[in-house]
Amino acid sequence: MSQRSLPGTSAAVDMSVDLGKLTLRNPVMTASGTFASGAEYSEFVDLSRLGALVTKGVSLEPWEGNPSPRIAETPSGMLNSIGLQNPGVDAFIETDLEALAEVDVPVIVNVSGHTVAEYAEVVARLEDHGRADAYEINISCPNVDAGGMAFGTACAPASGVVAACRAKTGKMLIVKLSPNVTNVVEIAEAVVEAGADALSLINTILGMAVDTESFKPMLARGVGGLSGPAIRPVAVRMVWQVASALHVPVIGMGGIMTAEDAVEFMLVGASAVSVGTANFVEPHSTVRIIDGLMEFCHARGIERVSDLVGALDHGVRE
Amino acid sequence: MKCGCESTKSYASQHRATEKADVLVNERLAEGIGLMVLAAPGIASQVMPGQFVHLRVTGGLDPLLRRPFSVYRAETGRIEILYQVLGRGTRVMSLAQPGDEFDLIGPLGSGWCVPDRIEHALLVGGGLGAAPLGMLAEELARIGCALTVALGAPSAERIVGREVFEATSRRLVVTTDDGSAGETGYVTEASERLLLESSFEVVYVCGPEIVAHKVARQAEAAGVDCQVSLERLMACGVGACLSCAVSTKAGLKRACVDGPVFDAKEVCWDESEIPPRH
Repeated sequence: MSQRSLPGTSAAVDMSVDLGKLTLRNPVMTASGTFASGAEYSEFVDLSRLGALVTKGVSLEPWEGNPSPRIAETPSGMLNSIGLQNPGVDAFIETDLEALAEVDVPVIVNVSGHTVAEYAEVVARLEDHGRADAYEINISCPNVDAGGMAFGTACAPASGVVAACRAKTGKMLIVKLSPNVTNVVEIAEAVVEAGADALSLINTILGMAVDTESFKPMLARGVGGLSGPAIRPVAVRMVWQVASALHVPVIGMGGIMTAEDAVEFMLVGASAVSVGTANFVEPHSTVRIIDGLMEFCHARGIERVSDLVGALDHGVRE
Repeated sequence: MKCGCESTKSYASQHRATEKADVLVNERLAEGIGLMVLAAPGIASQVMPGQFVHLRVTGGLDPLLRRPFSVYRAETGRIEILYQVLGRGTRVMSLAQPGDEFDLIGPLGSGWCVPDRIEHALLVGGGLGAAPLGMLAEELARIGCALTVALGAPSAERIVGREVFEATSRRLVVTTDDGSAGETGYVTEASERLLLESSFEVVYVCGPEIVAHKVARQAEAAGVDCQVSLERLMACGVGACLSCAVSTKAGLKRACVDGPVFDAKEVCWDESEIPPRH
């Protein structure tokens, strides 16, 4: 525990990060789809310690998701094809957001849709309710046939979704980008032009695994999204590309298991990070990483965790 | 899918937590089948029949995900799990020595429902499906319920839990595919006959899905309540990731929190039973 090794650390290291329209008490958020809306993890994590809670993707109507099997383990990672199963925005507001009414944590709602109009309507209904502090627009889910990644892999449709959502809210709009593109900077520029306040990346990488006994794909849908430590170098590279090219806050994610992994993303320019697959492995991963970040800074005399953001030393490593 | 019996209330008071557990015994029961005894006082003191633990195989990154195992037996300070060596994770487990440590989350899931008045229960276990029935048999015996148990496996050495079921049941029927122990044939042939011969309040079944489905149909035909413990691939084990979806007449449920035990009548066993999407 941080108390044992570092008495009084909390006063010594300023853990807050500025994301523009939102200031977080620390840079560690949950990654959408890995933490539900928090209740499932509340026995393991004090939710009010999180930088922000990013909820599972929500659509206008209930979605059933994909057939099982929906996951497969791969080397240092996993494939999933859940397919954004969710109860629809009205049920989500009634149960999930109401349960968070009294919890002292910024809530970022991840928004999905099959059409531009659906995305916008979800944002509109969430605006009416008011609990959401920010929105993360998911234009990068590889597991749905219509919408999802189809919007996030070309500039024009990506811009269209973002502009429609922008018209519905003045709150912080984060756009979650797909790694399944040739030029991520091009998409990033297009969505910022259309009104995005911040960018989060990366969503899962499209992948596939095959059972050599049955000759069948491991996932019922055939393909799915790869996550976990296996994808981290790809994620770090893409965050570096985007953060170097644009002047909006970037939230980095992809296989973060430890505080050092989080530092890696911050050094290449992420202002905050999201912890995803690690929650499945260790339910209290987020708080362990928050404590670890504090220790990391303290041990090096870094006064503000935000001093790490973009502090990459480009010189040749000795 | 709670039946509202006394046992479901106590899940709410359980404290789910991670627990470092030392291996006390790791015994090879047959080729590819192991019994592991773990020191886990927190879980052992709370676990109810049919619940499971989520076991982290290594402290490293590969294999990455936890594996769910039904608690086969629990006594003061220790739990027992049965496992079949099917992949990289269970292979690591098969090599564990006493003193090695595994990280567990538990107790997880909603287990078997035991009605207030139960005089005669039928337990049906196919292969390693006997695992979640062990604690149940001991609990039912403790409250004075008569048990008939049917256990099936491909061959004699793959019948697991024989001692526990012999000690707790009035009647134990063993079937093997090759006839090397008990009756030659499938466990579903034994369960069909037993349901005709005697009357039961509840049938509890765990095994391959085809066995569970068949026994569920037999129980329905006999007008007997049937509970099934279903197996699904799981990532989180706590209800967040939606990997372990089970189609039921009330929509999609999560095997890890709504199950793994379900009322057999509620399960949509094949696509034709899934209600139309709205």
